[in-house]
Amino acid sequence: MNNVAIVGTGQTKFSKDDGDIEKLLFESTKNCIQSVRNCESKDIEGVLVSTNNNSKYLGAILSETMGIQPKITHSIEHLCSSGTNALISGYAYISSGLADMILISGVESATNPGQVLEWDKSRGNFEHPIYWASMLTKSHKRKFQTTEEELAIVSAKNHKQAMDNPFAYSNEPRTISEVMNSKQITDDLRILDCSRSCSGSSSILLASEKIAKTISDQPIWIKGIGQKTTSASFTKNVLEEIESTRIAAKTAYEMAKIEPNDVNVAEVHDAFSVCELMAISELGITANDKSGEFVRDLFNTENRMINPRGGLIGAGHPLGATGISQTIEIATQLQGKSGKRQISNLKTGLVHNMSAAGTSSSVMVLEN
Amino acid sequence: MTFFEEQLKQGIFQISYCEKCNDTIWPPNEICPICFNKSEWKKSNNIGKIIEFSKKDSTYFGLVEIDHGIRIMGEISSTSIPKTGQSVTMNVSFDSKPNYSFIVENN
Repeated sequence: MNNVAIVGTGQTKFSKDDGDIEKLLFESTKNCIQSVRNCESKDIEGVLVSTNNNSKYLGAILSETMGIQPKITHSIEHLCSSGTNALISGYAYISSGLADMILISGVESATNPGQVLEWDKSRGNFEHPIYWASMLTKSHKRKFQTTEEELAIVSAKNHKQAMDNPFAYSNEPRTISEVMNSKQITDDLRILDCSRSCSGSSSILLASEKIAKTISDQPIWIKGIGQKTTSASFTKNVLEEIESTRIAAKTAYEMAKIEPNDVNVAEVHDAFSVCELMAISELGITANDKSGEFVRDLFNTENRMINPRGGLIGAGHPLGATGISQTIEIATQLQGKSGKRQISNLKTGLVHNMSAAGTSSSVMVLEN
Repeated sequence: MTFFEEQLKQGIFQISYCEKCNDTIWPPNEICPICFNKSEWKKSNNIGKIIEFSKKDSTYFGLVEIDHGIRIMGEISSTSIPKTGQSVTMNVSFDSKPNYSFIVENN
């Protein structure tokens, strides 16, 4: 298998207003191609578009607009983890030798059809994600004695970290007290516990080892990949667990030949506050009953190890772009180019992206 | 409209199962995912227990487990704060999407 590296990245600012899908795609792609020296559009052999938008033939449209005539192009949809699924498809094309350079562009408009999974009949008329998130939160409180303050710290931390992310939809700081007193959505969920659907686009250029070394001074290597889908129906989950994440993480760690404690920085899928606590446990970064304490320590010591760009809660959640934006953050951190939010002495980073209440998860391990 | 949905509209929660595999099929399906034989249908006993619950505005809602371990979300009617493990009876209907509702027994 060929080694695969991230060699270019480009983003647009995320926004809670509706956006033009094509314009957003073109902007992040342009920024991505311009981030790489000596890269011409004709060198790109594959174009994958990650989105929940219903537009057709976006891969070919993006290719033509950017002057690319790729061997391979198509769209990829997998709800909230469309982005990492597209990246992993790009990885597979390169590692198998079918292509040497692939562009992966994710895009979404704030109002998009990916927010509710109508197929899931077990949700009855409680289809919206706030209902499963309420179940997960209540259950986490019950089993692990998680407090409302610990949940609020996740949001306060991620909003604070997003202030140094120029692509985040909001750069407003939120105190723990503001989160705890924000609008009540259900008995177990406040508005500031929720990530917000956004418009935005993020793009990554992947290359094989032989190309990467000629066009990038700091290629970031994809060393481990794990994916698992346990079901499509939320109600098959054990409420206190995200089994798909646990399995995907194990596979990714084995492939990368690392242990959870080797992870220096991680972007995890904090669709809701409780998801961050559950994710860091299932990833083996901390124990289930210690996740609240772990995040409190990060917040108190201003340690940005988890969700340095602000996560989904702080940066916003343009579904098809989210996994790509998470990956850009980890790649940029590993390159030492994250500006004000740079964490020092990094070797290994992790991306965790999931869909539909954690019924499907993708985990990637990156190294510099 | 599927058979399951048509039956919900008449107030009946039908459970699909495979006679050959002796197993429940959920979500409802006309084919067994193990042996691919045609599934059979039987009516739920409309009794369940609360797995977890929360409240939005003045309405309780939650995850309830009915017969054969099937878990579904719906409104919970109770005169006091519900409890996990509490027994409920189920009513169902269908109006563009399924609607499951539960009443706490001995309310």
